Amino acid sequence: MSSAFDASEFLAGYLVEAEEHLSASTMNLLAVEGSLRKGENNPRAVRELFRSLHTIKGLSAMVGVEPIVDIAHAMETVLRQADRAAGALSAKAVEALLAGLRAIGERVRALSTNAPVAPAPPHLLDALAALEITKNEVPQAVELDLEPAVLGKLSATEKAQIIQGAEGGRRALRVDFVPSPARAAEGMTITTVRERIGTFAEIVKVVPLSIPMSDAAPGGLAFALLVLTDVPDEELAAAVGTTPELVRRVLHPRPEGGADPLDEPSSAEEDVGETEGRRRGVVRVDVARLDDALERLSALVITRFRLARAVDALAAQGVAVGELGDIVKSYGRQVRDLRGAIMRARMVPVAELLERVPLIVRGLSRTTKKPVRVAIDAGKAELDKAVAERIFPAIVHLLRNAVDHAIEPPAERRHLGKPEEGLVRVTCFERSTNQLELGIIDDGRGIDREAVARKASRPVPENDAALLDLITQPGLTTLEQATKTSGRGLGMDIVRRAVVEELGGELSLRTTPGVGTTFTLLIPLTITIVDAFSFVCGDQTFVAPVAAIEEVVEVAPAGLVRGPSRHTRFGEVRFMERRGEIVPLVNLASVFSLASGDEPKALVVRRNGTPLAFGIQRMVGQQEVVIRPLEDPLVKVTGVSGSTDLGDGRPTLVLDLVALSGALSQNRTEVPV
Amino acid sequence: MSELYVVFKVEDGEYVLPASDVLHMESFAGATKVPGTQSYVAGLIHIRGRVVPVVDLRLRFGLPRIEPTLDSRVIVVQSGERTVGLLVDSAREIMKIAPEGLSAPPSWMGGESAGFVKSVAHVERRPGEKRLVMLVNFSKIIGQEGIYVDERNV
Repeated sequence: MSSAFDASEFLAGYLVEAEEHLSASTMNLLAVEGSLRKGENNPRAVRELFRSLHTIKGLSAMVGVEPIVDIAHAMETVLRQADRAAGALSAKAVEALLAGLRAIGERVRALSTNAPVAPAPPHLLDALAALEITKNEVPQAVELDLEPAVLGKLSATEKAQIIQGAEGGRRALRVDFVPSPARAAEGMTITTVRERIGTFAEIVKVVPLSIPMSDAAPGGLAFALLVLTDVPDEELAAAVGTTPELVRRVLHPRPEGGADPLDEPSSAEEDVGETEGRRRGVVRVDVARLDDALERLSALVITRFRLARAVDALAAQGVAVGELGDIVKSYGRQVRDLRGAIMRARMVPVAELLERVPLIVRGLSRTTKKPVRVAIDAGKAELDKAVAERIFPAIVHLLRNAVDHAIEPPAERRHLGKPEEGLVRVTCFERSTNQLELGIIDDGRGIDREAVARKASRPVPENDAALLDLITQPGLTTLEQATKTSGRGLGMDIVRRAVVEELGGELSLRTTPGVGTTFTLLIPLTITIVDAFSFVCGDQTFVAPVAAIEEVVEVAPAGLVRGPSRHTRFGEVRFMERRGEIVPLVNLASVFSLASGDEPKALVVRRNGTPLAFGIQRMVGQQEVVIRPLEDPLVKVTGVSGSTDLGDGRPTLVLDLVALSGALSQNRTEVPV
Repeated sequence: MSELYVVFKVEDGEYVLPASDVLHMESFAGATKVPGTQSYVAGLIHIRGRVVPVVDLRLRFGLPRIEPTLDSRVIVVQSGERTVGLLVDSAREIMKIAPEGLSAPPSWMGGESAGFVKSVAHVERRPGEKRLVMLVNFSKIIGQEGIYVDERNV
C-alpha cells in the first residue's frame, strides 16, 4: 500500500470511521431484512446504507485501500439502484450485501493490525453485479401537495418515505420555519428546531426557500420542514414558533390522471451532503482525552481550596476581603458544573451500545439453526463509556446462553405450541439517577433446577436466587459444557464478575420452566476507574491511584537519616535525600499497625508542596481498577478511599495516601520511646 | 403470630436475630483488615458481590478472641441502608418465638454489654427442657458510634 499509511493518525481516524459506518450499515441491512420479512420496503434504511457505502468508498480511496474501494463501489451501485426503486431489495441482494460488509470488515481489521489487505473477492463482485433491482409498485392513490420549489428537491426515496409513513398511520406534515435574529436570540435556530422536532417526529427533509424579505423574515429565508408525526399540529407549530393554521398536510388523494409523485428521477447522490450536515455537531473524542480533562480539573479543584483557605486566612487577620468570599463560592460552583459537563461527555447512549446486538443474535441464530427474533428497547438512557465497555461482554454472554441453551429448536417449540421463532428481548431503563436496569429476556425453556443441581452435585436450589448463586459458581462452567444438555451456566461466573464484582451492580434471575428466563442487571451509570499501583505492605496487598503518587523509589538504608527522638505513634520517622530535597519516610505498615518489616521501596506523595514517603514491602504491578466506595461508618477511615477486587475474590483496599499524609502531619505527636 | 429467628452462639451465650433481617449465612474464610477501624471490626468480605464489613461479635461483646473454626459463621444482616456481617462462633438453627415469649432483659445484664440485648426468651428445647436465648440489638452492635474517632487524635 502507498505512503498514505505513514500518516498513522489519519489511518486511526479512518479505521474508527469505517468501523462506525460498517456497524451502522449492518444495522440498516438487518432492518431491511426485517422489513422484507413483513413484505415491505425500507427506503430509509436503504438510503442510509447507500450513504454509508458511499462514505466508506470515499474514505478508502483517500487512504488508498483499493480492495475496499472495489467492494464498496459494487455495493454502492446496487444500493443506488435500490434507492431509486424506492428501497426495493431482494433477500438475495441482502445476503450479497451482508457478504460485502463482512468482506470490508475483514479488510478493515487487517489494516488495523498492519496485516496485508486481501484483494476484493471476484465472486463477491460478480454476485453483486449480477443483482437486478426491480422497482416494485407502491400504490399511488395520493399526491404530494407541495410547490415545485419544494417538490423538486425531493428524491423518489423521500417521496416514498412520506407516502409509506402516511400509510403507516402517521401524518405527513409541512411547516415552515422563518429564522430571524430575534428568534436566534431566544435560542431558536434551524439547528435547535431540527433537534426539537426530531424528538417527536421523523424529519424527511428540510428544504431552504427564499421568500420575500419582511420584518418577520429579515433574511428573506425560510425552511420548509417535511415531517412524519403523531403529535398534534399545535406542538409542531410551537416547535417552529408559528401558529397551528400554518401546519399543512402534505398528502392528498390523487385526482385522475395526476402525475405519479415518484416519477421524477432525482439523483440520490446530491443528498449525501445533507446527511453530513445532519451529523454535524457530533464529535468523536478519545476517552483518554476526557480523562485528561478531568485530571486537569482536579488540579483546578485544589487551586480552589487553596484560594478559599487564603481568603479565610486574610479574613482571620482582619483584612476586609469584600466580595472575595462570594467569588470563591461561585468559582467552586462553576468547577463543579464543569465536572458534571465533562462526566456527561463520557456518557454514551445505551441504544448505541446495543446496536450490535441484532447482528450477534443473527449470527447465533444461524449457527444454532434456531430462528430468533430480537427486540430492543433501549429508550434514551445513557451510560458512562467505561461502564458500557465492561457490561457489554456480559450482555453478549447472556444472549449467547439465551440462543444456545434457552430457546428450543423450532420443532420442539412447535410441539409445545410456541411460535417457531424464538424471542430475545433486551430492555433498559434508568431506575434512578445513578442506576440503570438492563433486562435480557427469552421465551425459551427456562432453567431446570434439578438438572443444574444434578450436574453440580449440589442440593436442588429452592428459589431463583439460590439457583443464580449456583449457576454463577466458577466451577459450573465446564460441567455444563461437557454435558451440553439443557440449562445454562456457560460463562455465568463471568457475567456475575462483570456486573457484581467489577461494577458493584446487582444481578437477578427469574425463570419459569417452559416459559422463559429473565436476567436483570442493575448497574451504576458511572463508576470510578483509575489506573493504580498494587503493592504489598505488612503482608497485605493494597492499591493506590497512580495519579496520587509522585514517584516510586528504592530505599537505600545507608542513605537514611534518623532525627533525634522522632518516634511517633505511627512508628519511626526517618529522612532521605531525593534530588536535593529532604523527604520524611514512614513505614506504611507501622502507620497501619501491621506487621512491619523491610521496606525496600517507598511511594512518594506530595501534599500542599510537602513530600512524604511511605515505605512498603514490594510493588506488585499496575492496573486499572474499579473503585467501590466504602460507605459504612464502621470502615470509613482516613486514608482508605474504597475497595476493589484484584481478581482473587477478596476485597483489596484502595488507599488515599495524600489524605493519609495530611492526617499524619496533623498528628505528628512525638511519644517517648 | 410467632416469628422466625436465626439462633447463633457466641461463647456460651445463645442469641437470636429475626430471620427476616438476615440476608445470608456464610462460612468465614478471613476478611481484609481495614487499618484504623475499631478493634472489633474484623474487616471486609465479598459476599455475593457485595463488599460487607464484618463485626467480630466476640470482640464486640468484650470476650476473648479465638481463631475462627469450621463452625464460625458470618451472618449478613440488613438494617435500613446498612448491610453488616456478624462473625459468630456457630449458627445452625432457626426457631419460632411468639412475641409474648420475649421479655425485657434482666437488669444484671449490664456492664460492657449493656444495650446489646434487647430482650430475652425462655424457649423449650425438648418438652421439659428450657433454655435462655437473647435477642440482640443489631443497630446498637453496628454502632451509633458513627464516624470513627481517630485514636491518634485523642
